[in-house]
Amino acid sequence: MSLSPGDGAVRVPIGPGGAAGGSRGRRAVGASPGQLVWLRLRGDRTALVSGATLMLFVLVALAAPLIELAYGIGPQDQFQGKLDGFGLPLGHAGGVSGEHFFGLEPGLGRDVFIRLVYGLRTSLLVAVTAAVLTAVIGVVLGTLAGYFGGWLDAVVTWITDLTLALPFLIVALALTPTLTLRLHGQRDAVPPAFGVGVLIVIFAVFGWTGTARLVRGQVVALREREFVAAARASGAGPGHMLFRQLLPNLWAPILVSFSLAVPQFITGEAALSFIGVGLTEETPSFGRMIYQSLGYLQTDPAFVFFPGVLVFALVFAVNLVGDALRDALDPKSPR
Amino acid sequence: MRPRVAVAVSGAFALVAALSACPANTGGSPSVDSGRQPTGVIATDPKDSTGPAPELAGARRGGTFTVLRETPISHLDPQRTYSFAGLMAVPLVARSLTTWKDDGAGNLTLVGDLAETPGRDVNDDCRIWEFTVKDGVRFEDGRPVTAREIAYGIARSFDPDLTGGPTYLQEWLADTPQYDTAWDFTANRGSLPPGLTTPDARTLRFEFARPRCDLPFAASLPSTAPLPPDRDTGVNLGNAPFSSGPYKVTRYRPGIEIVMERNEHWDAGTDPVRHQYPDRFVWSFGATPDAAANRIIADNGTDRSALSWDYVPASLVARVAGDAALRSRTLLSPTPSANHLVINNERVTDLRVRQALNHAIDREGLVKVLGGPHVAVPMTTLMPPATIGHRAYDAYPAGPNGDPDRARELLGGQRPELVLGAADSSVEQQVATQLKGNLERAGFVITIRNIPDDAKFDEIKKRGNPWDLYLSSWAGDWPSGASILPVLYDGRAIRATGNSNESYFNDATINAEFDRILALPPSEQGPHWARLDERIMREHAPVVPLYVDVAYLVHGSKAGGAFVSSVFGYPSLVDAHVEP
Repeated sequence: MSLSPGDGAVRVPIGPGGAAGGSRGRRAVGASPGQLVWLRLRGDRTALVSGATLMLFVLVALAAPLIELAYGIGPQDQFQGKLDGFGLPLGHAGGVSGEHFFGLEPGLGRDVFIRLVYGLRTSLLVAVTAAVLTAVIGVVLGTLAGYFGGWLDAVVTWITDLTLALPFLIVALALTPTLTLRLHGQRDAVPPAFGVGVLIVIFAVFGWTGTARLVRGQVVALREREFVAAARASGAGPGHMLFRQLLPNLWAPILVSFSLAVPQFITGEAALSFIGVGLTEETPSFGRMIYQSLGYLQTDPAFVFFPGVLVFALVFAVNLVGDALRDALDPKSPR
Repeated sequence: MRPRVAVAVSGAFALVAALSACPANTGGSPSVDSGRQPTGVIATDPKDSTGPAPELAGARRGGTFTVLRETPISHLDPQRTYSFAGLMAVPLVARSLTTWKDDGAGNLTLVGDLAETPGRDVNDDCRIWEFTVKDGVRFEDGRPVTAREIAYGIARSFDPDLTGGPTYLQEWLADTPQYDTAWDFTANRGSLPPGLTTPDARTLRFEFARPRCDLPFAASLPSTAPLPPDRDTGVNLGNAPFSSGPYKVTRYRPGIEIVMERNEHWDAGTDPVRHQYPDRFVWSFGATPDAAANRIIADNGTDRSALSWDYVPASLVARVAGDAALRSRTLLSPTPSANHLVINNERVTDLRVRQALNHAIDREGLVKVLGGPHVAVPMTTLMPPATIGHRAYDAYPAGPNGDPDRARELLGGQRPELVLGAADSSVEQQVATQLKGNLERAGFVITIRNIPDDAKFDEIKKRGNPWDLYLSSWAGDWPSGASILPVLYDGRAIRATGNSNESYFNDATINAEFDRILALPPSEQGPHWARLDERIMREHAPVVPLYVDVAYLVHGSKAGGAFVSSVFGYPSLVDAHVEP
């Protein structure tokens, strides 16, 4: 799909049919690395389309209350009068109409569209925050361990192994009710933000190990290279070594693991909400909707279709953007 | 590139078009007959208790009858059997003192099974009962069943290691809920618990300190199954129960499969209800209700003579009910499982608040959430309609969709803040969301607090639990008010934990009524329970009755004879057969 040939360090990939390609190629001469990346991305139509899709998703998520205002229906509003005796939506394709763009949920009769808009908000917030946190933790620990080696490396590797050995689901299942009880007592309302926070923390605590190992390996490989030795010989301090010499060479793997983590957390949120960890029924989320919809494949396929397609589009867009970014940052790497 | 985009776009359009091309759902009007009135009698004529059971028209011997179920049966040990699946499966391998003759449509007769009659009340005061054991009843090794083996079976249910079974007989004999301290089974293996004697090989005698008029009913549970002491393998008996019924367990693979094959020593002439049509029953565990229903609908191979034990899942009900070809392959019947929104009466002490809760509920919407009338039928009484003597009434008319105005009026401007404790299972979360919507419409402020699904039942049975409202269901062990109202609403039985009285309702006048009615002959109690039911609701409104479960099952085209038990609401297999 991607159109970037990626066979030159300075030359910008040129898409077919781009009449202005030649002039872009000339402008690339003398551009800073950041500008180069941007130029490469602009020439990559896949990146543009997926990036635009992702931006649209982010905008929709941010503007959810405004959309609710314009749409006139809230995520908790029920329309059971528009369901038949079995609790299935009346009309075509799961109750799709001018009033309910994506139809209604079977049973409770809530509007699918507005719940997806709010669900997008929850899912993106959880997934992106958790992915950023895991990337930061992973990169910091990985570079430190890889660069300094010695006892620090031993300790970090040991913690990584320990975290990997912890059974994720069991800890999540044990931790959530305990935390809820500690912080909210037995009768207070639990705000949705708490569930979101718990999910983010759980994902961050368990998700950083992959990035840390990846980064540590890369740093170990890099630190003996000539340019690092040269910098060290010139008397550069650890800060310069890490941030100016090593890290710029690591963006590609970090971005890849980041772009893999986001969809992983979106689906992870789905699975966890289903087993009762994290979000409650009242908080709209992709996960809950998809799991609830699966049983209706035969009786109300539209209810499976809309959330499913949206999650697919979101995960696909995140993956493609990550892929394109990696290509743009490191056009020499084999594809 | 361009053609590919075009293909993708047109593909997407085709999908959307296909979705909208499905016929519009214009809504049908499914209906389930929930108003049937069960009749229950205790057979007085010993002829009713003799076998053989009348042959079923068209039934044939032979074949393998398969039962698909998601979770394994918890105990096949008759003394530990208390789950619905166990209560329906164990009668195939174990006979009890009495049993129900059931036509699957609510007409019940309690007859003697091992006993010649369903019990003889010696002095007409319900304190001394005698059962005469039938002649010709045999175990799977051919030796005769006598009163001693039946007494031993009852004695071993006192063993604190053999938990999980019903405790009526133990508590009544020991006259205390702490029966295992009153009589120690492990120290007295050779003797019998107090009050239980076998004057001769064919007579079993119960002597109680207090009138226990429900004994014939309680004796229908499998805990009165016989067992020779030399065949008692303790906690392992569940893997290979020693059979006295028409089948015996020939293969037991824990969590996977149970195979039951014919017991040739079972004599049809002694058994008033069971048949022995299939060569074997195979209980196969693991298939989810979804998978099982789809397999049965597909009707291939061995699934043609199979029954899906689990009810059709709510998401598939419309598909099964909408398919006319499946009509002959479904069983549909209301069950005795009554579901209530239980109010914690120790927290919600204001009667008007409890009455307002009753007025606020939209039962029609609730039934839609659950999956329609093939899954649940609205209910406004404490006892389910499948109770003997049940009378319908509506103490707090809410109409089909609730009456929030009347509820507001009762609240008189206050906005009670209540906490609804809900299990974090998928269905209960939806029901809780629905109820919250109903109640907030009527002026309540509801907070839903999640309780881990596996812990919920223990938590709400603790006195002083922190929630104001919670969902709970109850099915009596026999279709009499005596196994429902005193169990759920007698405040004198409230303990620290393990309460069946989850509403913690306690009222001295009502408690006295329980005692009065329990001392009546069981056949006369029905109308009294119905009147007390209405009185409790009108005067105290301790719970909000919501709905009764409906059994909706599918079976293969060759699986015949299964019907929904009027006592437990799950399929009874005594008439099951495989059609050629």
